[in-house]
Amino acid sequence: MNGTPRTLNRILIGILGFKLLAIGVLLILLATVPAVAAWWQDWAPGVWNIWRDLFERTRLPGRPESWVWIVVVLLLLLVIGAMVAWVAQQGKGRVNVLVSEDDPGEVPGNVRIGSGVAEQALRAALADRPDLAGVTVATYEFRGEPALRIRIQPRHGVAPHRLAAEASALVEALDAALGKRTLVLIHIASGARSRFGREERVR
Amino acid sequence: MSHATDRHSGGGRHVPPPPNAAPSAGNPAAAGAVVEGVDQILKRETHSSRATASIIAAVLVIALCVYALLETAVRAVGQPPWLVDPQTAAEQAVALPDGVPPLLLGVVGAVLVMAGLFFFLNAVLPGRRARHVVPDRRAAVVVDDEVIASALARRARLAANVSQEQVMVTVSRQQVEVNVRPTSGVPLSPNAVLAAVTDELREMELTPAPEARINVASSGVIGA
Repeated sequence: MNGTPRTLNRILIGILGFKLLAIGVLLILLATVPAVAAWWQDWAPGVWNIWRDLFERTRLPGRPESWVWIVVVLLLLLVIGAMVAWVAQQGKGRVNVLVSEDDPGEVPGNVRIGSGVAEQALRAALADRPDLAGVTVATYEFRGEPALRIRIQPRHGVAPHRLAAEASALVEALDAALGKRTLVLIHIASGARSRFGREERVR
Repeated sequence: MSHATDRHSGGGRHVPPPPNAAPSAGNPAAAGAVVEGVDQILKRETHSSRATASIIAAVLVIALCVYALLETAVRAVGQPPWLVDPQTAAEQAVALPDGVPPLLLGVVGAVLVMAGLFFFLNAVLPGRRARHVVPDRRAAVVVDDEVIASALARRARLAANVSQEQVMVTVSRQQVEVNVRPTSGVPLSPNAVLAAVTDELREMELTPAPEARINVASSGVIGA
């Protein structure tokens, strides 16, 4: 439920994968099929000549270097910047305000409730249960609205549907306390702590 | 296990209020929006975001660009190249497959094909995660298949009256497979175990609902 740009990820990964695939297949064919090697040696020099002509025609006045190199440097910098921006998009969307609304009462101003309220309340309610190995609560922005993500790691053998029902009851109690329903995701996860920990024998 | 319930009921940390105490519960418009949001969250949570593959791809492209940048910048200011001059590299590429041993060329090609397949399949395949959805009236609930498997294994173990190591459960999208190794000399009723597991599955109400199957190993375990 975080703001990872999923469609963009698929498109960019797909383009990169397709390009790598094409280059790899070309290299294998060059190494194994003589006909492809002949075609490549016939076709590639023509393309290379076009580029070499471009470099010849674009020399800087008074110097042997072409200004195309500077353009290439700028393009590469642009690509690097775009890639860094793409990485920065992954997993974004954490927010720290759970409720921000106008107060219709007589006192001027609006009401803000930090996400720490819900996070700490839920974590404290689930903290010392023997059947859980860990709980994390975080607030994310989902479609412009804050939404809670509760990640619960039960120990071995805990029935997930009962755990979900109990967590959901806690969320309903939180609704009553905050006076607002937010979107809630309960993720009952397995992790290293539940995998290697002891089995829950009570319940 | 006779003491099982006392720790469960002990404590009484949190008493939830009746559900109708929740505000905006009777507002159908808000409820519709919430249901739609829940559906979207569930769709996102049961499918991979491909963040890892994206980060690997971005780092690869950045590394390639930084190297090309270095050589190009060196070339632009008229200094000798670091590893290979861009122009020489281009001429070598044009002259392929001459100048490079065919075995090396083939191996490099194969490595590139493998990397390309990894990224391409990551992008094209649906990217379902090993998770199931559990219905709930308030929240969106997703459960990792591993958690379901360990809960079912526990139920099967109690029904079969064997030790923990004798039961293995694998959960996939449409199927639950229960593997039991009975204790030597102690009869085991597969139908009873299967009924227990099916019963637990029915209680979970997973979406998509998997079908349970049981395999009882022909050889038993001694001294368990």
